[in-house]
Amino acid sequence: MPIIVNLDVMMARRKMSLNELSDKVGLTLSNLSILKTGKAKAVRFSTLEAICKVLDCQPGDILEFIPETSDEKEPA
Amino acid sequence: MEIRITTPHILRFLEVFSWIIFIGLCIEAGGILFNTAYTLFINPQGAANFWEHANLEALYRFDRGHFAAMAIVMCIVAVLKAVMFYSIVLYFKNKKINFASPFHPALKNFITNLAYASFAIGIFSLSGARYSEWLTLQGTVVDDLHKLHIGGFDVWLFMSVILFVISQLVKRGIEIQTENELTI
Repeated sequence: MPIIVNLDVMMARRKMSLNELSDKVGLTLSNLSILKTGKAKAVRFSTLEAICKVLDCQPGDILEFIPETSDEKEPA
Repeated sequence: MEIRITTPHILRFLEVFSWIIFIGLCIEAGGILFNTAYTLFINPQGAANFWEHANLEALYRFDRGHFAAMAIVMCIVAVLKAVMFYSIVLYFKNKKINFASPFHPALKNFITNLAYASFAIGIFSLSGARYSEWLTLQGTVVDDLHKLHIGGFDVWLFMSVILFVISQLVKRGIEIQTENELTI
């Protein structure tokens, strides 16, 4: 998927662990892990808002669009 | 006192009902298989009271090969019905019905298998019915299709189409459910 989740980068910048973020955002560790590893299919605005609030950042700091090359494209 | 019928109650009832039908179909399939072998290899008198008042004596007298072919069609249909209900009782027994996340690949496979089984029963029943018509034209007497347990091919074919459609809906449901589960 061309949308890259840079949650781990922002967490490292804020020196915050996954457990701490999970507590503050109110998401389960498994859901955060799905988000961090890029397995998530969609992110709710409310979740994004909570993460941005806790990490004190913008949505663009967490999500990044990198166009994929034709040979990288996966079948739908 | 009010009696509330909940979904688990209905499922329990359906499970028991499926077991009863499955056992009945096993007995029927076994009976038809046994009577076929008995009539063909041991005693031809078995054709007179083949299975549940089905009389195939005239057909046996007309031609032993045609009798064997008709009996084999009956056997295939009976076994397929038993297999179909076996998959249903197996699904109940393995407790694969989950109302928290109902759309599961196992459910799709289950419905697809039922659709295939129903289609096969329909096709074999249809061929049995056409064969019976042809035999009647050849001048022999063949019992009623319902007595031979190969009637209602149109219903089986219709059911298989409905089940195929449902399996496609379940497939889409699985995709939506997976997407929903992966929405954070």
